[in-house]
Amino acid sequence: MSAVTQELPVARPAVRMNPWGPLATLARRRFQLTAGRPRELLVPLVTPILFALVIAPALKSALHTSSSYEAFVATGTIGLLIPLNTMFSGLSVIVDREAGAQRELLSAPIPRPLLPLGNLVVAVATTAFQIAVLLGVAEARRIHLHLTASGLLWFAAAGLLFTVGMYGLAEVLAGRVPKAEEYIARVPAVAIVPWFLAGSLFSIKAMPVGLTWITRFLPLTHGLALVRYGLLDDPTALHDIWGMHSTTGMAALSLLVVAVFSMLMTAAAVRVFSHTAVK
Amino acid sequence: MVTAVSESRAALGAETNGSAAVAVQGLRKTYPDDVHAVKGIDFEVAGGEVFGLLGPNGAGKSTTIGMLTTTIRPTAGTASLAGFDVVTAPLAARAVSSVVFQDPVVDRSLTGRRNLEIHASLWRVASSEIGPRIDEIARAIGVDELLERPVASYSGGQRRRLEIARALISRPRVLFLDEPTVGLDPRIRAELLDVIAGLRARFEMTILVTTHYLDEADRLCDRVAVMHFGEIVACDSPAALRGGFGAEVLELRIEGDGRGALGRLQADGLADEYAFAIGSTLTVPTRERGANELLLKVESYGIRTAAVTTRPPTLDDVYLRLTGGRLAAGAHE
Repeated sequence: MSAVTQELPVARPAVRMNPWGPLATLARRRFQLTAGRPRELLVPLVTPILFALVIAPALKSALHTSSSYEAFVATGTIGLLIPLNTMFSGLSVIVDREAGAQRELLSAPIPRPLLPLGNLVVAVATTAFQIAVLLGVAEARRIHLHLTASGLLWFAAAGLLFTVGMYGLAEVLAGRVPKAEEYIARVPAVAIVPWFLAGSLFSIKAMPVGLTWITRFLPLTHGLALVRYGLLDDPTALHDIWGMHSTTGMAALSLLVVAVFSMLMTAAAVRVFSHTAVK
Repeated sequence: MVTAVSESRAALGAETNGSAAVAVQGLRKTYPDDVHAVKGIDFEVAGGEVFGLLGPNGAGKSTTIGMLTTTIRPTAGTASLAGFDVVTAPLAARAVSSVVFQDPVVDRSLTGRRNLEIHASLWRVASSEIGPRIDEIARAIGVDELLERPVASYSGGQRRRLEIARALISRPRVLFLDEPTVGLDPRIRAELLDVIAGLRARFEMTILVTTHYLDEADRLCDRVAVMHFGEIVACDSPAALRGGFGAEVLELRIEGDGRGALGRLQADGLADEYAFAIGSTLTVPTRERGANELLLKVESYGIRTAAVTTRPPTLDDVYLRLTGGRLAAGAHE
């Protein structure tokens, strides 16, 4: 075998490449992998739909609550759906790591923060789809919402920011936890326990005073209050948190809380990914 | 994104006109608790050259590849791919290179074609070129008839071929093959070696291959570097490395301590520094005196021989002499 001393032409990779360009590729890849496993889309929907369509009407009739209680719980289950779906989406990070695909992505000429952001795009899209299904079946069950343009905007902003924050939390957890089994074991604590405390089935004021105060610090409490304000035009949950007169002011403050949660978690997700993926 | 732009500028600044496709100087990786995985290595790989990194498990091969592919941060030293520094211009370094990893990295639930499309897109191949390029490379590598099937249905050899096709889609200037045939059965391994050997003829690129199959290195590589405990202990062409042993070696399996017998042969001037003993097996270059004279001398020591072979020296002899241990076939680093 002869030695080769071929002169190498000077390398000039494109300098003005759009750094966001590969985001679409990453998101498409994640979406195709997710769509290939429909149960990942459907499983997180099962419990919220069960609550909205079966348990809420049953509680209404058993406890003789008003008919609006069904709508209260149906919207409250959004607070279960988002954490469940984002935590399930976070599992894909561990799957990529264990199956080796993450090494390929890390060796690609793309800024590494795009890798968690590509996953985030799909987590947001699938969550939006699931929320639409949930609200659709609630409507079909004659659980009526009170929709206005401004209400929808509050709802969309709160839903989006809370989903982004929860996905960030899922990425952080996936980066820190070595195995899928350990990750799954943490899901109830992250996705389900807060839901019971955040005013999803009853007002936070129904709880002992100490717990009420603690729930005011949960981003989910603020997210749910905004969802109900947006979809039911019901500011009661916002009043329970802030006790102010200005509904818009309270909504803006809660949105700020969710936005800060979202930004902190996204930054943490990118940081944890960068630190754990590259040794 | 500020980081990307500034890095691209740094990339241009880091460009050199040197002919080395891979340049490594004083590269070092120390993990916590003072684990020295790579201890300041130097080597250069010329454009178009096939260069092998040989070594047993834990020699530092995969850590070296990790640093060159920017998935492991070097503790000290520099490394560049086609002139792009892997620390100051990692995006540019990754853009001109591609890796075939030791373990599969393709998405099993997607089709072969979709896997190739994703790779091409991430490496910024123009969308109009992706289809024709996939067809061309898939034909060359022999996976064209598999492309529309999910990868989960591929055999191990087919998946490995797809991994190689995937790495070629971006037409990398530097291709890393990290233990490319590990875990494959002998027939598929032989087929794959043909594919790899043909890469340089078909696609103009520099190849850096790590392996602990020495026959593989002998067949594929223009030059090899032998790594041992994080250091390069020899670097030359396989022929030059073997050349130190002369035309023939005598391999003796004796009953008793090989090192003791070797010491006596060396004391009598019948074995030089190229002779070595592993367990009860002695390997001694015959030089001008011939195998019979050596054999008679060994028997005159009262040492009984269980098996005797004369043969041309191999890269195994080079490796065993330098590292003093056998390669664990099929083991992973």
